[in-house]
Amino acid sequence: MLSSLGNPRQAAAQLMNFGLILSTAFMMWKGLSVMTDSPSPIVVVLSGSMEPAFQRGDLLLLWNRNIASETNVGEVVVYNVKDKDIPIVHRVVRKFGVGPDAKLLTKGDNNSADDTELYARGQDYLVRKDIIGSVVGYIPFVGYVTIMLSEHPWLKTVMLGIMGLVVVLQRE
Amino acid sequence: MYSSLVRLQNTFGFFTTVIFVVAAFIAVSDVVTPREPVVATLKTNQVQVVRGRPHYYSSKKEEYAVIKFSLDADLSSLFTWNTKQVFVYVTAEWPSSSAAKIAGNVTENQAVIWDTIITAPSSDHLANLGPAARKKLLKSAAGKAIDPSRGKLSIKNQKPKYQITHPSGKIAETDDVVLKLHYNVQPWVGMLTWNQDIDMFRWKKLKNGMSKKFALPAIKKKVEAKKTTAGTGK
Repeated sequence: MLSSLGNPRQAAAQLMNFGLILSTAFMMWKGLSVMTDSPSPIVVVLSGSMEPAFQRGDLLLLWNRNIASETNVGEVVVYNVKDKDIPIVHRVVRKFGVGPDAKLLTKGDNNSADDTELYARGQDYLVRKDIIGSVVGYIPFVGYVTIMLSEHPWLKTVMLGIMGLVVVLQRE
Repeated sequence: MYSSLVRLQNTFGFFTTVIFVVAAFIAVSDVVTPREPVVATLKTNQVQVVRGRPHYYSSKKEEYAVIKFSLDADLSSLFTWNTKQVFVYVTAEWPSSSAAKIAGNVTENQAVIWDTIITAPSSDHLANLGPAARKKLLKSAAGKAIDPSRGKLSIKNQKPKYQITHPSGKIAETDDVVLKLHYNVQPWVGMLTWNQDIDMFRWKKLKNGMSKKFALPAIKKKVEAKKTTAGTGK
């Protein structure tokens, strides 16, 4: 089985193959990113603040272009708070003004109060550029893998190990 | 070639393909199911403006509009086998003040004054309710997978869930305010959809989903306002 290790040409081909798989995945992700104009076109739900609509581990597809209309009240958006790197999925409940400077207020459907407390100090409203996309599509459960991986880091090592082993052992 | 690893891979590959094809079929089935949401009445009952503070420790005083309304709507056609929940919300919408309009800043304001989550029987177990309310909800649809009757809303003289204000803190004596009903259908898998303003294929637009224009009154007298401030501090 490990004969490929003795054959440098085959070993190189397998390495290339592995690189190809990685770069294809990366390009698909970036392509989707360009298409949707969002730095992160697919997100995994991490909290229960939008239950029962979204549970932890559900996958959301985002769209960040305003072709037909502006981002309006009622849309479920993913936003980043200034200086914090955790994306939050909540619904826009108030909008004052139009255009890129419109003031937006968000709230989780399952929360009793709006998000003013979650925003940065001195920030009372969001603006359009804080938003990295509106939720347009929904796929349940699939993202739970990533939650498992981030909560149990040893799984990452195991998975990488298995993937590497499969590539080495495969002959094509 | 026929190692157990390859067989495992093929089985897993086939499994995921089947899952995704079935999911895609379910998602597309939404588009061919007709939707005919109708609002019978949407009107305001009592409108007042009070002074209050954004939260208990704030010294800032703002004006809050308290809009009581009545709603009769039939959204039962939104409940299908792929409906997980319908989020129904009423917004108050008004243009910017006439002074700003003359200056060329035509701005629109929208704020949700009331909302509700209507779960389908298939997602009742996920609803965020107390034990008694949950039991009642589960019982109301025992044995049913889909319960369109939950889409029939009849609400009389409803107090708003949210007292709204404007970032300027001024909202009294605003003209041309309307209430609008909106909904957002959340599927088990597929696209999230909202009410439309035009007919799209088999989905009809939301009929009559807007109230008559009304004006917010001047601020209430101080004595009465004091009583209501307690309610606005979240």
